[in-house]
Amino acid sequence: MFTAMVIAMLTAVTVWWLLIRQLREKPWTTQGVLPTSQDGVTSSAPKVGLWVFLAVVSSLFGLFASAYVMRMHGHGGLVSWQRLDEPSILWVNTLVLVLASGALQIARNRIDKDQLEHARAHFAAGGLLTVLFLVGQVLAWGQANANGTLGPSSPAYSFFVLLTAVHGLHLVGGLLVLGRTGVHLFSGAERSNVAVRAQIRLSVQLCTTYWHWLLLIWLGLFALLLST
Amino acid sequence: MAYVAIADRDHHLHDPQTWVEKYVWSQDHKVIAIQYGSVAIGVGLVALVLSLLMRLQIGFPDTFSFITPYNYYQFVTMHGMIMVIYLLTALFLGGFGNYLIPLMCGARDMVFPYMNMLSFWVYLLSVIVLLTSFFVPGGPTGAGWTLYPPQTITGGTPGYNWGILLMLLSLAIFIVAFTMGGLNYVTTVLQARCRGMTLMRMPLSVWGIFVATILGLLAFPALLVAAIMMLLDRTIGTSFFMPALLSLGEINKTDGGSPILFQHLFWFFGHPEVYIVALPAFGIVSDLLSTHARKNIFGYRMMVWAIVAIGALSFVVWAHHMYVSGMNPYFGFFFATTTLIIAIPTAIKVYNWVLTLWRGNIQINVPNLFAIGFIFTFVHGGLTGLFLGNVTVDLPLSDTYFVIGHFHMVMGVSPVMVLFGAIYHWFPKITGRMPNEVLGRIHFWMTFLGTYAIYLPMHYLGLLGMPRRYYAYGDTQFIPGSAHAVNEAITIAAIVVATAQIIFLINVFYSLRKGKPAEANPWGATTLEWQTPEIVPKHGNWGPKLPVVYRWAYDYSVPGEDRDFIPQNEPPKPGQVVHS
Repeated sequence: MFTAMVIAMLTAVTVWWLLIRQLREKPWTTQGVLPTSQDGVTSSAPKVGLWVFLAVVSSLFGLFASAYVMRMHGHGGLVSWQRLDEPSILWVNTLVLVLASGALQIARNRIDKDQLEHARAHFAAGGLLTVLFLVGQVLAWGQANANGTLGPSSPAYSFFVLLTAVHGLHLVGGLLVLGRTGVHLFSGAERSNVAVRAQIRLSVQLCTTYWHWLLLIWLGLFALLLST
Repeated sequence: MAYVAIADRDHHLHDPQTWVEKYVWSQDHKVIAIQYGSVAIGVGLVALVLSLLMRLQIGFPDTFSFITPYNYYQFVTMHGMIMVIYLLTALFLGGFGNYLIPLMCGARDMVFPYMNMLSFWVYLLSVIVLLTSFFVPGGPTGAGWTLYPPQTITGGTPGYNWGILLMLLSLAIFIVAFTMGGLNYVTTVLQARCRGMTLMRMPLSVWGIFVATILGLLAFPALLVAAIMMLLDRTIGTSFFMPALLSLGEINKTDGGSPILFQHLFWFFGHPEVYIVALPAFGIVSDLLSTHARKNIFGYRMMVWAIVAIGALSFVVWAHHMYVSGMNPYFGFFFATTTLIIAIPTAIKVYNWVLTLWRGNIQINVPNLFAIGFIFTFVHGGLTGLFLGNVTVDLPLSDTYFVIGHFHMVMGVSPVMVLFGAIYHWFPKITGRMPNEVLGRIHFWMTFLGTYAIYLPMHYLGLLGMPRRYYAYGDTQFIPGSAHAVNEAITIAAIVVATAQIIFLINVFYSLRKGKPAEANPWGATTLEWQTPEIVPKHGNWGPKLPVVYRWAYDYSVPGEDRDFIPQNEPPKPGQVVHS
């Protein structure tokens, strides 16, 4: 819970820091059009929207992690926490997700240079590696419970499945968007007009940012699982 | 900076082509706001009826045979949850947030209109799922709105089988809906303000809604985490929250789970939730008071900082709801301290509202009556919060009617006063007609005096030690006969207040059809929503050109001016100080 509190405080401080310059303005003393103001919706609105969403996602996982730590240290109960041996396949899965993130970054770099046709292979690889990661996570559930003794009554196993499942569901959501972007990218994007290409470029940028962030979250979760 | 060509429109902006697109699957923020508002008020009326049934039982026990202990706890639970989440949160953010943010910021719409539309329909789904629980075997959950385990999912508790499942599912769906809406509100404020509208020129309504949305986006995940884990405890027998229990003669399969963990998660959401409701109310009431006192808001910058400070502090006070949970006493000291600290920015706001009225040209109209009424109810509710924030005072008062009196005054009546004030204030903008003044005044006085008649005596009952959540008190020795008489009086007052809401509804429907046609800016307000080309803004809000803002939102009674207000989009006169 204190992790969540620290995250919340850091978020508040960050927001405060970002806003402090603007919050010093004395609006009753000035008239006219001030230089910091803008006109209409800026093109970065989707990026801002994604970062706001990632803040929500981070809050969700921060709270899950807090609950995990609090449950582990316990508040009384008849049975103490029995730690789980993390399945070795998680190391392979982590590598796969790193590769997925890297592949998407390469695709993004190429699309930023307007080389849409050269980005397809890496873009597709990013998606396929992510599917592989998800399959690996499901296999990890079985490997962790290889002797069949663990079930819902084991808190460590329950948390392991819960945390990986929620993380996986976020990736599944990402894959839906990735798939939609892929349809545009693979259906003659290089022949499209400037607006369509800009839209594809933006979608790939957003997907890449989302993947990197979910990779970071997974690394955090994995570290937490390994350390407990 | 690169701008999307949405500013000065020469193309269609998801314009509705059919009746269905215009009024049902609408992506227009104003229609979505009305959809949100209508559903929220509708489900709020259900919660109002539930509260009346509870009061009938408490005021006149052994009289109404259809109110059983089983039903009573279901009424308590559903009343609380509906009022806090599905009415107040939805109406302030989904309703007023949707309506006001684009109009007050000078935008054509939310930045993600399609997601905004989805937000409403997912919200409606959450309401339907919740209300469905009235019709499933066992009925809705009766565990109290805090849903504390292990009681919530243990046999014997009303609705422990189907009711709680639907409640948790509904909450999860609501959070998805809120997140979609919240992303829109935050991004629109940050990215779609018109030219000249700096952050510090935004009306306080937008500031309140903006910060409350950030709180919601960060706090609702705690409820989601708790809901998911409880759902798993209930369905597949995990032990996140469930300890080993002997229930109805049988040993549960669960073991070692922590009910206190649930309480932490719940209140990590639950306390910011108070401010998710309060901050929009703070913002809106500031604008109502300033407009109807014809005076600039006192201490605008301090008001903004106070909203931000309250928002940040609201994340570090949650455990003051848990003093009696057996947590470490040092935690109690910490949380009592933070609770008292949060009173500072809150008090600053109260002083500033009063000082805004000081020597203002106060208009005694219906919106202002509700706004001024809010100051009274909020001060009373806030002061009793200081009692409960202190551990030593809270321990004897915990789970008594004092707590009910406190939180209903501070986060029930007070935000509702602002909601009514806001509805009367923006009714002409939304409908193009003026609300009936006489009916509005009757509605105000019945509501204002009636709620005092309900909640002030509850503080006295609490001091007597009368516990909350009891179906009947029988001949309990320490509860004097006079307390039962007080309970009867409270119930009668509750019926009067409920009747007043019928008058409100009559006023809304009557004024919609027969109300006096509104002028473009009937209150003489400065903010942008009153400066649209049409009285009731059309799709896209601003015609061909977006407005440009030249000043803050509170230029009222400026010396030397002909009118007692200057709209935000009115350019400065030659010779005035100009920064560009």
